[in-house]
Amino acid sequence: MKSNSIIKRVLGAVCIPIITFLIIFIICQSRGIALFDSKSHWIIFLRAVASVMLTTFALSINLNSGRFDFSIGAISLLSSVISAQICIKLGLPVVVMLLISIAVGMLLGLISGTIYVITKLPPIIVSLGVTLLYEGIAFAITAGYGVSFVTNYELTSFPSIRNYLLVIVIALALIILIFDYTSFGYKYRSLLSGQKVSINTGIKEIPNALGCYIIAGGLMGVVGVISSTNTGTIQMSLNFGSIGVMFTAFLPMFIGGFVGRFCNEKIGYLIGAITTAFISLAYARLKVDSSVQQIITAVILVCFLIYLNNEKKIFKFKKTKKE
Amino acid sequence: MKTNAKKSIMNLAPVFGLIVLVAAFLIVGHMKGINISYGLKSVINQSVVVAVVATGAVFIYTLGSFDISLGASVAVSAILGGMVYIKTGNLLLMFATCIGVAVLVALTNSVLASIFNLPVFVTTIAMLSVLNAMVLLLIGINGTGSEISVPSDAVAHLDNIPFKVAVLALYILACVFIFNFTPIGRKEKFLGGNPLCAQLTGISIKKYSIIAFIISGIGVGLGAFLSIVYAPTLTRSTASSVGMDVIIAIVFGGMPVSGGARSKIYAALIGAFSMTFLSQIMTLFNLNSGIGQIVKAAIFILVVFIAASNHRQKELPR
Repeated sequence: MKSNSIIKRVLGAVCIPIITFLIIFIICQSRGIALFDSKSHWIIFLRAVASVMLTTFALSINLNSGRFDFSIGAISLLSSVISAQICIKLGLPVVVMLLISIAVGMLLGLISGTIYVITKLPPIIVSLGVTLLYEGIAFAITAGYGVSFVTNYELTSFPSIRNYLLVIVIALALIILIFDYTSFGYKYRSLLSGQKVSINTGIKEIPNALGCYIIAGGLMGVVGVISSTNTGTIQMSLNFGSIGVMFTAFLPMFIGGFVGRFCNEKIGYLIGAITTAFISLAYARLKVDSSVQQIITAVILVCFLIYLNNEKKIFKFKKTKKE
Repeated sequence: MKTNAKKSIMNLAPVFGLIVLVAAFLIVGHMKGINISYGLKSVINQSVVVAVVATGAVFIYTLGSFDISLGASVAVSAILGGMVYIKTGNLLLMFATCIGVAVLVALTNSVLASIFNLPVFVTTIAMLSVLNAMVLLLIGINGTGSEISVPSDAVAHLDNIPFKVAVLALYILACVFIFNFTPIGRKEKFLGGNPLCAQLTGISIKKYSIIAFIISGIGVGLGAFLSIVYAPTLTRSTASSVGMDVIIAIVFGGMPVSGGARSKIYAALIGAFSMTFLSQIMTLFNLNSGIGQIVKAAIFILVVFIAASNHRQKELPR
């Protein structure tokens, strides 16, 4: 009985990425293309997993608590700009760039959270203002030219299988530790399920909310380094150009929510990120036009959500049909 | 009594904000020696599309929802409208296409959200991706590769302030009437304020959500038509900032994001013009785009903070 339950849970957790992989594998094979042909394809795949998983964590930490945050992309942009500028000027190694970017991301998250708790405005409004603010600062710092370190061998040496795996493992372990095994995490979950009741029982909401913003900021600091060290350039965004980063996290977040029924929700987000990374790699290998990519991804997201939100009705319909 | 007066003043903060911005624009413009009437024309040209789209969007916001795909919908409607004009040379058909496409997009959003029980914000995010991709595909397939050009002679006679203001005024009047003097507006405010209670009294959230999206779609279609009139060469950047400008304008104008009874139809108009006046003042000061955006962000948060100061809860808002 127990082993049945374990098998059911394992199958439930891995079914989506496996089905996705099989579909993609068959499509690629039918066109004579190998999905993982060289080391560089593994790097592309793991970069997508790391970047999407971290963005999904950052988005979901606040979104699950009803705090919609548009500013995560702007935090990623500004933290990578500041860390890259410092490291280029002082000739520091890429590890230091990563640490500075995390610290700056946490600080930016703290500022964002502080504006939210002081003004008590709806988080979506605060995040709109903060996005404008951080994009503006990044633009002003670089005079609109962005940052380029294409020829800086040290800073562009970050992309590697080992580094991306380290990022994935450490981030996942830390997030599980913080949210599942600390009093901060218990309070977070309590506030998530009942804000008023939790406050009445003595849980302090403000430090918890600030903590969430700080953690989300730190995660986006890492995303900033991953994306900037990949190309060696950081391009500027104004007028909410940075919010696109956030959109990459929706599909894995909902997949993670579904998979979370069978395993830890954070592992679900990793599985969601792996699934979307398979899709991204397939796009690259099949040379799918970026516009078509956007449409396919959006259709997958909507279809998945239609299933997710109507699951009970679908099963009820099937059951009635059988009877 | 004193509290009521304070509340009224706070509620009017966006209006005072607009008055201050207009005054600042006139004073700074006079000091810098610019042609004020040309500057005002420029403000109207820049605001009118956002104001029209945002006014329709108020119906969606009143329900406590929001639509992030409005700007992309303006772009696709304008491009398809432009393509129809290039094929037929018929201005009326172009207008009908702009409205038709925008309403169709809005209907798709509302049907997905209300019939399939999807969260509106996710539906509109998916729609945003699809529409942005469609802009690139349509321009790539039908245009020169980077643009679709409607002959400027075709719309030149409409590219004037009286026509644009008339379109804006007519649409706003229709929206004010529906919002303030018909059951549609009242029921939408009720649904936004307390959806459970409203549904228990027999108000259909699906029906009113679809109506809200259709009204908003008409605004998007008008915005698309006005975009072609103002800039007949349609590129990938056509209406690219409209989507977020609409959200900012609505919030800046004093509209509560949670919707409900405090929703105001005039918020969109005030917000759209305030943001444009603010941008113009930044330009007059020759501020670098980055610094300009920082100042804009600070003023945005400050005005919304003052406007919302009557409605703070003990808990953090969600």
